Amino acid sequence: MTRVVHYINQFFAGLGGEDSATAPPTSKEGAVGPGRKLAQLLGDDFEVAATVFCGDDHAGGPEVLPDIVALIKDAKPDLVVAGPAFTSGRYGLACARVAAAVAAEDIPVVACMHPDNPGVDEAGLAPVVASGEVARQMGPSLETLAAAIRLVAAGEPLTADDGRIGKIPRRNVTVDATSAERGVALALARLGGDREATEVPLPRFDQVTPAAPVEDPTKALVALVTEGALVPDANPDSLESTRATRWLRYAIKGRDSMPAGEYRSVHGGFSTVWANEDPNRILPLDAARQLEQEGAIGRLHGEYLVTAGNGTSVGNARRFGVEWAADLRRQGVQAALLTAT
Amino acid sequence: MTEPRLGDETGGTPGLTRLVHAVEAVAMGDRTGYEEGTLTVAAAEAAALVADPALAEVRVSWASPGDPTRIVKVLDAVEPRTKGPGGAGVFPGFVGPPKPQGRGETHVLRGASVVTAGYLPRAQEAVVDMSGPAAPLSPLGSTHNLVVEFSPAPGAQWEDVYEALRRGSLALAARLADAALDAEPDAVEELPGLPAAHDRRLPRVAAITNLQTQGSFKEVFVYGRSFPGAALPTLLDPGDLDDGAVVSGQLGHPSLKNPTWMFQNHPVLAALRARHGVDLLCAGVVLSPEPVDSHNKELVSAHAARLCKAAGFDAVVVTKEGGGNADADMALKMDALEELGIPTIGLFAEMAGPDGTAPSIVVPPTTATAMVSTGNYDERLDLPAVQVALGGDRVDVAGAGALDAMVLPTAVIYCSLSPLGWGRLTCREAA
Repeated sequence: MTRVVHYINQFFAGLGGEDSATAPPTSKEGAVGPGRKLAQLLGDDFEVAATVFCGDDHAGGPEVLPDIVALIKDAKPDLVVAGPAFTSGRYGLACARVAAAVAAEDIPVVACMHPDNPGVDEAGLAPVVASGEVARQMGPSLETLAAAIRLVAAGEPLTADDGRIGKIPRRNVTVDATSAERGVALALARLGGDREATEVPLPRFDQVTPAAPVEDPTKALVALVTEGALVPDANPDSLESTRATRWLRYAIKGRDSMPAGEYRSVHGGFSTVWANEDPNRILPLDAARQLEQEGAIGRLHGEYLVTAGNGTSVGNARRFGVEWAADLRRQGVQAALLTAT
Repeated sequence: MTEPRLGDETGGTPGLTRLVHAVEAVAMGDRTGYEEGTLTVAAAEAAALVADPALAEVRVSWASPGDPTRIVKVLDAVEPRTKGPGGAGVFPGFVGPPKPQGRGETHVLRGASVVTAGYLPRAQEAVVDMSGPAAPLSPLGSTHNLVVEFSPAPGAQWEDVYEALRRGSLALAARLADAALDAEPDAVEELPGLPAAHDRRLPRVAAITNLQTQGSFKEVFVYGRSFPGAALPTLLDPGDLDDGAVVSGQLGHPSLKNPTWMFQNHPVLAALRARHGVDLLCAGVVLSPEPVDSHNKELVSAHAARLCKAAGFDAVVVTKEGGGNADADMALKMDALEELGIPTIGLFAEMAGPDGTAPSIVVPPTTATAMVSTGNYDERLDLPAVQVALGGDRVDVAGAGALDAMVLPTAVIYCSLSPLGWGRLTCREAA
């Protein structure tokens, strides 16, 4: 019997949505939520021994991840499953990072999410299989996941035919023909009409679909956000100037501009002299207030979100984006102006 | 004596005859000579051929396949070749005058190599193991290598030290091959010249070989002159490369280097020649610079594509030298050729990170799609301890003594990801 430990988020654990997004890591014996259906699909050779869950707000971050992994290991898994996370960004990142951490300890693992989920590229060596786009597609998603679990438990390779998505590790192998001989053979294959043959698939680039335009800007709640590392002059929360691992929020309610001397940029990627001479150059609060007064936009959000975009890892940058989007949406913000340096 | 060649019959240029002498054993002795597969070298004579005011001391020693030996800080490797006493035109621009070659007969000491090794400030450390898991990854792992070590003269400029080593190793390579001039060859290889422009019996397939052109320590010599970054692509007869018209002066990226030995044995040309007259015509080699700025990269790529179109090439295999910046030259050329309707294959090393999950190609092509992988640069290798080290006593990149067991990225093994396609590594998706 294969002992499976299942990682899910607070919503699928039945704790609630955004209001419970800060729930701490918790472990429960047996299957919970989608794990029950998964257990049925897996049959008698598998047992969902425990379910570990956590609130989406911090599950993918560096502070809480070790606690989640510890709870999973306490349940002595033969195999770990994370998701399905569908297109939910924070949940997907958490599943991916949990799976990556577990895979790094040589425990078999499968994560499951939609190919567009930003977590797909964060799973490290752990395999990811495709789920549907939304929770309505739970049934077929769990079927894909269950089939993948059986293969991983049997030590079989997971391929694209099994629904595998994301980065599959590429390993050096030695073959009979030299690279040059293979190149010439490929040239002849092309001349023979084969346009598909290649040893290196073209890389997948992120495609960001822009949100639909705001229907009526004169009624919209608009936020200012920046990667320009603009913080109160003493940098009270010690924002990093490079390779940031965190983002911060500061109130701008009641302010009409960002005065020199009260704010400064701690960005490590450019000379901050001009920014500090007039911090509105980084966060254009003066101009935004004017638009607000003219009625061109509805209202400005009461705080701005900030990090330092300098040498930031793609993984952290993705996490900041996902967290900012969730945070702004929760507060009813309809549009955001992101200033970049 | 020899049968007429395909090129001769159909109006192409004459080709080259390689007289191959297999080197099966090596020795040091009083006289330099070649007899019955054994190459004997007089150490003092060899050192004297390399001697130069920029060098205080030159030492030579053998490292043979299977030896418990590691060669570190490898600079260049040259295959001994000659066209007659004194070289008779081999290595044009260095040993011989700068004249086109690739005609007549060339003696080749196959299985031997002259290897320079030692500290130069701009060189990235290259490692060759003569036994163990890294040996099959480098061409020098299966050749008898006459390793030339050196001490620079006090106050000598590093450029002069490198120049002395280059001239010296080419002269030494020609001298060693001279020893076999009177020996009966073990094999006679007839190589085609360039096919005539009207010869359309089979698809005309050519190589484009990008040369690194970044100045001292990062340059390539063609007929003895540093190939300029501002040059436009040019078509050469493959036999010219056999006779040493292209000589390396490039010390970056050990695994992605094209040493002189590799140009003499250009693997894409070898693969094309092997099928010449069977299912394709080996249509020649286009040499192209790798300029450092993107405007010139685009200019050179567009010109290379036009040249290939005008030369009637039906397909092209493109190669590079160097790291990520050189991927841009590859991608631009591949796209430019495909736009002119010429199917194009690129030979790329992958830079996929130690675990093989990072994006593989720094600048991938946009319309061209056919790529060969020569392996992942970043994958780690475990090398065992050895008993003899040549070229230096440290492998600084590993923070280890040269004799020690160490873990190295594939990127450090000399020619392991050969951009010219010598190697048998590729990448496959793991389970």
